[in-house]
Parts: sequence; C-alpha cells; structure tokens
Amino acid sequence: MQRTTLQTLSLYAGLAVVCGVLLFPIYWLFVTALSTLAEIRQLPPSFWPAEPQWSTFAKVGTERPIFLWLWNSTLAALGSVALSMVVSVFAGYSLSRFSVKGGRSLGLFILTAKMLPATLLVIPLFGIFRSMGLIGSLWSLVLAHATLIIPFTTWMLKGYFDTIPRELEQAAMVDGCSPLGALFRVVLPVATPGLAATALYAFVLSWADYAYARTFLTNAQGSWTANLGITTMKGEYVTDWNEISAAAVFIALPIILIYLFLERYLVGGLTAGAEK
Amino acid sequence: MAGISIQNVYKDYGALNVLKEFSLEIADGEFVVLVGPSGCGKSTMLKILAGLEPASGGKIMIGDRDVTDLAPGDRDIAMVFQNYALYPHLTVGQNMGFGLKMRGMPKAEIDRRVRAAAKILAVDHLLDRRPKALSGGQRQRVALGRAIVREPRAFLMDEPLSNLDAKLRVHTRAEISALHKRIGVTTVYVTHDQIEAMTMADRVVIMRDGAIQQIADPDTLFAKPENLFVAGFIGSPGMNFLRARIEAGKLTLFGQTFNAAVGVGAGEIIVGIRPEHLALGPGDVTFTVKPTLVESLGSEKYVYFEPGEHAYRADARDEERGKGLIARIAHAGPIREGEELVLSFNASEVHLFDAKTEKAVN
Repeated sequence: MQRTTLQTLSLYAGLAVVCGVLLFPIYWLFVTALSTLAEIRQLPPSFWPAEPQWSTFAKVGTERPIFLWLWNSTLAALGSVALSMVVSVFAGYSLSRFSVKGGRSLGLFILTAKMLPATLLVIPLFGIFRSMGLIGSLWSLVLAHATLIIPFTTWMLKGYFDTIPRELEQAAMVDGCSPLGALFRVVLPVATPGLAATALYAFVLSWADYAYARTFLTNAQGSWTANLGITTMKGEYVTDWNEISAAAVFIALPIILIYLFLERYLVGGLTAGAEK
Repeated sequence: MAGISIQNVYKDYGALNVLKEFSLEIADGEFVVLVGPSGCGKSTMLKILAGLEPASGGKIMIGDRDVTDLAPGDRDIAMVFQNYALYPHLTVGQNMGFGLKMRGMPKAEIDRRVRAAAKILAVDHLLDRRPKALSGGQRQRVALGRAIVREPRAFLMDEPLSNLDAKLRVHTRAEISALHKRIGVTTVYVTHDQIEAMTMADRVVIMRDGAIQQIADPDTLFAKPENLFVAGFIGSPGMNFLRARIEAGKLTLFGQTFNAAVGVGAGEIIVGIRPEHLALGPGDVTFTVKPTLVESLGSEKYVYFEPGEHAYRADARDEERGKGLIARIAHAGPIREGEELVLSFNASEVHLFDAKTEKAVN
C-alpha cells in the first residue's frame, strides 16, 4: 500500500516523539554530567552547558573507585550469566524435547519463581548465604542473580529450542552423535542467536541489580558493584549530581556497547521464536 | 549393503497401539516403499528402523546383526528426512562429511568421498555454500549426498520429495530410482503418495491404522488388491466401488446380469471397477449414464456420473469425488454433461469384495 505524504509525515513525527521520550533521560544524564552545579540548579534549565565540564568524568574516574565497582559488576554479571546459561540450556532443552509426566506443570512451576518479587527472596537468601559464609562475597550475587535469571532464561531458551526442528538432532544421531553430542554439535550452534539474546538479557538483569548487592555486600567495600557504589556518592548534606551523572554514564556505557554489538543477534534471537 | 529383517515389531504409546505386529523381510539391494495415509504408522516404523524411536517389542536385523537396541549411529544406516535436516551452520561440504567426521575418518578421505558424492549428485560447485543459499532441489540433493557419502548398509527415506514442487518431484523421483540402481543399496522409503510408491518400488507395503494391508510389487497391487482399502488407495483416480447383489455366480449391475467369480455365495457384494476399465461405447457389459461433470486433461477425459441404486459409501473413494463414479476415457471426442453416454466394461476386469470383511473374493 502506498503511503501519502501526510501519512509519511505523521509516521515520522510519531516516531520522533517516541524516540524523544525514550532518549531524553539519557541526554539529560549526559547534560547533567557536563554541567556545573550552578547550571544544574538554575531555572529555567539549560539544555546544553555553556562550558561542558569534561573534567567531571576524569574526576569520577580518579577520585572514586568507579572502575573497581564496574569490574565487580562485570564479574558478578559474567558469573551469573555463565551459571544461568549452563542451567537454562539443559533445562530449556529438556522442557522442549522430552515429554515426562507433569513436565508442563514443572515448567510452569519454574516460572512461578520469576513471579515472586526479588525483595521477597532477600531474607531467605541472606540466611542461606550467611550460613554458607558468602555474605560480602561476589559469589552471593552470582547465586542470587541466577535464581532470578534462570526461570526466565529457561523459558526463553525452551521457546527457541521449540523452533529448531527435531530432525536436525535425529540426523546428527544417525550420523553418529550421542544425544548430548547432537545438542553440542548441532542444536547449540544453530541456537546461537537465541543464546546471545538470552545471555544479554541475563547480563542486563544482573547488571541492573541493586537490592541484592545492597543486602549482601554493604559491609564489603571491596566487593561493591557499580549500582551499589554510586548510591554512596550521595551525601547527607551535599550531593554532586554532575559526578553521580558521570558515574551513571560510566555504568550505562558497557550495556549500550553490548547492545550495539549484539543488536543483530538480539533481534534475530527474539523474533525467531515467533515464526513456526 | 545388507538385507533387513523386521520381526513382529510393534509400538504402543500407553494404551494407543500405533504399530501392530509389523514383519517384513527386505532383500539385499531391494527398494521397498511403505505407503499409506497420514497416521498409518509408516513414519513410526521408519524411525524404529533408524533407532530414533524404541520399539515396544519385536526384533530388527540389518544383515546378520541384531540392531534392535543399538543407537542410530551404530546401525550403519543413513537417513534422508522430509525437511532434509541439513545443518544450517555448516557448509554443504561439511554437511556431507559430518557423519564421516563423527566416525573419525581422516580428513583427506572425507574430502575424497564428499567430492565423489557431490559429483554424482551435481552439487560439487556448491560445496562451500550454506544450506540457506540453496534451492529446494539443491537441498534435496545435498541431503541425498549426505546419505550416500557414508556408504551405509541401508538408506532410509522419510517422504524426501514432499517439499518439492510437482515438476521437480517427478524429476527427483527418477533421479533417486536411478541412484538406487547405480549404487544398489537396500532402501526403505516412506511416502503417502501412491504414485511415488508405484513408480519407485520393487515392493510396496501398504499400511493403514498401524497394520500392513498388503505387500506386493506395484503390478500385483494394481491387478490383485487384497482388500477394499488397497483397491481404493492404489490407482489414480481411485477404483469405483458399487454395491450389488450376486446370485448363483451371476452379478446384476446397471440392469445387466453377467457371470462373476466362481465360488462366491449369494448376497450383497462390493464391486470394484477401475476408471480406466470403463470404455466409451458398447462392450461386454453396456450401460447408459448421464455425466454430471466432465474434466478434460487433453489426452483423456474424466467423466463423472451417479451410481444410482449401486451407491457405496463415499469415504471409500477420493473425498472430492463424493458419491460419484468416474470413467477415465482416453482420446474421446466431445462429451457433454447431462447428455446420455454409453459406457461399457469387461466382466473379467471387475474386482469383487466381501461386503462385511471388505476382503477380495475373486
């Protein structure tokens, strides 16, 4: 169907508004980071600082242990992604391929764990980790994040495995693979886009956590993650919002870069489940 | 290469018996086709033969080896799937050599075999491509290549032509037959298409509801169907069925009485007449009809007409034909719907089936 000029203009205007709404917070974060404290508080606000304060980024990088926090966040996220993916691949594959009595109910039961609010699980997890001696260790975050991530990633991967024809594994088995060999040599390579999308989702979920980090790591400064560390930058009497914004930019940057890098896989992975 | 012996194999899913006591001896180098409607158990049987599904009971021998409990990879068979099941992340060459690689064959030997098989199937110029860059016909050839490169003891093919368009299907059908003649490997081929079965098979196994209906070569199946199902399944268009009475060896049909099979008791009987056995003009048994529909295919015409008092249940024939009978008239002049038409058939060409057991009685 051919669009009229008016329809095209309306479409682009609509898209511009949506993009503006979505991108404005990121723009404002960046502007705040580059503004002086006086500019931040002035009314009407300035939409671009008169003299961008690039030094704020250097100040945050040198005076605060932002890179240690980022490193800790990275370790926790990679650990939870690795653990979640190993469990989810086997769980999702089993749910997709093997029909056992009550298998469907079991699958839905796994998903109920995702329905519980994270804060509800904090207290029992704290008790478990304390008895295991993990409080203050990044391992507590890895395990806690995995409990949040695994239910959802299991279902994401199950959906993806459902779209892969069983005949591929059967062909691999006729060609001499064991069932596990068929999974590793054929199914997982074919499922790469789905695995990338799922891993990215898991990474973002772990990266964005604050509640668990706050609960399990508060007394271990060396293990603070970026989200936990940044909250300590707000003082009781004085808050340097430009520094906090600069730190927030540092924290958002890895996720944005990963999204840009994996976007092709991500979109392919998420839409592949839609086609039968 | 090896013969295959399937002995009393059956398959249950809980209380559901999808394959009933299947026994079949396949000679070394033979091309056997399992054919039947959807859900008849033919694909289940093939998967059991491949080891992709366990049998609930029975025994399978390939050559002199009992393979009943062996994994698919240990049976020394190759399989071609309906959707080809090519590995999308591997090139054509890697797809074809995958099975050999799994068996630890040296790379040089894999390359040699892959190139030889690719040349036979005319896909040697595609070896570096991925499956998604191939046409349907090319994918089909690669799937065949993946099977023959292994030099297995038997080929199993699960409806390998059903994803191709009609023209390519006919072409590939002939190619598979030629390939079989060339390499002579025992082949078990599953299809729901009776034309594929008739044109390719040394022997055809007709199945229905998990049970074998008849095992015979294509000509025997056509000429001597053992029951009503086989008679209706083989032939295109399918056989006409009519309900009639037989008294003292004489059959009354369309107002004509003629001698039928010897030894058939008096009573109701089902008469089968193949559409191509109905001829234009008077003959051995002559009758007049008014065509309800005439389809011209150029070289022949399909003339539909009502069976009248001889109507038999519609589900015994092609669904689209409804209750109508059909005559397949070759090289006919103009035939108009509604105008009287004289048809005839030879009494020796009718098939008789018991009205209760539906088994052939002549």
